Amino acid sequence: MKRRHSREAIKENLELYSIILPAIIMIAIFSYIPLYGLLIAFQDYAPGNAIVSFSQQAGIRWVGFKHFLKFINGPYFIRIMRNTIWLSLLNIVFGFTIPVVFSLLLNEVKLNRFKKFVQTASYLPYFISMVVVAGMVLSFININGVFSKLVEVFGGTAKSYNTDPRYFSRIYTITNVWKSFGFNSILYLSAIAAVDTALYESAKLDGAKRFQLMRYITIPSIKPTMAIMLILSVGSILSSNTDLILLLYSPANYESSDVIGTYIYRLGIEGGQFSYTTAIGLLAAVINFLMVFVANKASDKFTGASLW
Amino acid sequence: MKQKASKRSNNLNRNTWGDYIIIVIMLLVAFITLYPMYYVFLQSISDPLEVAAMNVYFYPKGFFLKSYGLLVKDSQLWHSYGYTFFYVISGTILTLFTSVTSAYVLNAPKLIGKKWLIVFLLIPMYFSGGLIPSFLLITKLGLYNTVWALVLPSSYNITYIILTKTFFSSIPYEMTESAKIDGANHYRILGQIYLPLAKPILAVVAIYTIVGIWNSWFPSLVYQPNMDIQPLQMYLRRILIEQSVDLTNIGSMQEAEAMARLKLSNSQLKYSVIILTTLPIIFVYPFFQKYFVKGVMIGSLKG
Repeated sequence: MKRRHSREAIKENLELYSIILPAIIMIAIFSYIPLYGLLIAFQDYAPGNAIVSFSQQAGIRWVGFKHFLKFINGPYFIRIMRNTIWLSLLNIVFGFTIPVVFSLLLNEVKLNRFKKFVQTASYLPYFISMVVVAGMVLSFININGVFSKLVEVFGGTAKSYNTDPRYFSRIYTITNVWKSFGFNSILYLSAIAAVDTALYESAKLDGAKRFQLMRYITIPSIKPTMAIMLILSVGSILSSNTDLILLLYSPANYESSDVIGTYIYRLGIEGGQFSYTTAIGLLAAVINFLMVFVANKASDKFTGASLW
Repeated sequence: MKQKASKRSNNLNRNTWGDYIIIVIMLLVAFITLYPMYYVFLQSISDPLEVAAMNVYFYPKGFFLKSYGLLVKDSQLWHSYGYTFFYVISGTILTLFTSVTSAYVLNAPKLIGKKWLIVFLLIPMYFSGGLIPSFLLITKLGLYNTVWALVLPSSYNITYIILTKTFFSSIPYEMTESAKIDGANHYRILGQIYLPLAKPILAVVAIYTIVGIWNSWFPSLVYQPNMDIQPLQMYLRRILIEQSVDLTNIGSMQEAEAMARLKLSNSQLKYSVIILTTLPIIFVYPFFQKYFVKGVMIGSLKG
């Protein structure tokens, strides 16, 4: 298999590699060195320590799975896992189904202008920054906010939604879905647009009704996209939208809002427990990967769509 | 034939009760997505007394731009605006550079070790070191609390490299071959043949990157404790989330008095600051319309 490359080819490859070199260097530094930094999950790492060294004097203390066990046996393990998984499940159920239903319904709209307007409106929230979205939500659900006012108009009594732990999962899910459903539906709408219209025409001639067209033509056309989206969301079951939670939550509702990502941020970045939080992050990443793997296998078997 | 076509279009245009239900649902969807931003806009331009009494819902009551007039004098706002522009521009230029160069090289048929390069790119898409190892890296490199802590890590995006590569693969390689016979080297072929052809994909990558960096705040929270170099979103976070900045105190004493006299509340100023900082990214919207959807489609072809 080994083949000598001509001088010409070597010269050409030197050129090519010099073009890609800056990108390789950046990726090696900012994507690969952190991978190697994961080793500190198995050490008692202190800032200034070496991570790998062949010298005995380096002072590296390997501790095996100590940090993993500490997390699993710790007082917050149940709470954090419950919150992370519950918020992800809500997000999978609503964040996945709403874009599908929205795309199917929008596809039924015959007025093209109106269709375009609704689609354009639907992805406006994607542009608004998370900080602004969270700021708006917090100000609306404030006891003096417009949402509380609405609740009173309809005869309810406004509560302190932003601190009461019972409301957090709803606030988080609604905000998340509001921000992303339009963007996520672009994929489905473009898959639907790619369907040959002759298919619909001939089905109509055969007397197919609206729901039959949807069931037998439109839905099968977006099935592979649906499968891929579902696999990806299953694969992020242990990584919630930490960005949004960090903005929305407060110590008053940690009970239902503290997740793996926020816990890592607080203890790792604010608290300096580097090894412990790296171990938690690694554990979550491994479980996420296993989930993708299993979901992908299942999807491959049942729908024929797969990531790899 | 003509008759048949008109009959068909008749059939298409006839609205059933189902159509009306769908139209109503879609109107509701559009309302839900647009109203919150519209509400914020209304509050920001209405009379402060009406705003404080929560009387403004569907149209402005009174017309009052003083809150904007006061905000534009806030030097901290413009300062962080400037840093955001710096982060957006540098990050976008670097991302475009790494995307185009890598994509070009990966498409060259005579590249030795192509397989290894692809694996090198794919591994970080599935595995990442995560927050803490990245934080330690930034610290060890001496980038902590500098502008480079935001610029350098956002200098590439592997998804965009692959997106650009997919786009480039539709450019016939014979063009490169004939340019080579004319004596051009790869630098010239990339710069003079591929770059001009790459405009649509550059637009897609640029828009994704601009929106992403404009709205990002978390890396700054982690890497930049120094408020002076933080982007706009961190300034907003202090106002909207932490509520550690009272906007009624931004100006001089006289201005504070003026505000009190005008009954300008902190919350109305917050609404105005949201509008002031979201407008620029909304201007990207029409370009988004044109290129973004296309980007999603290219991505999904070989996702």
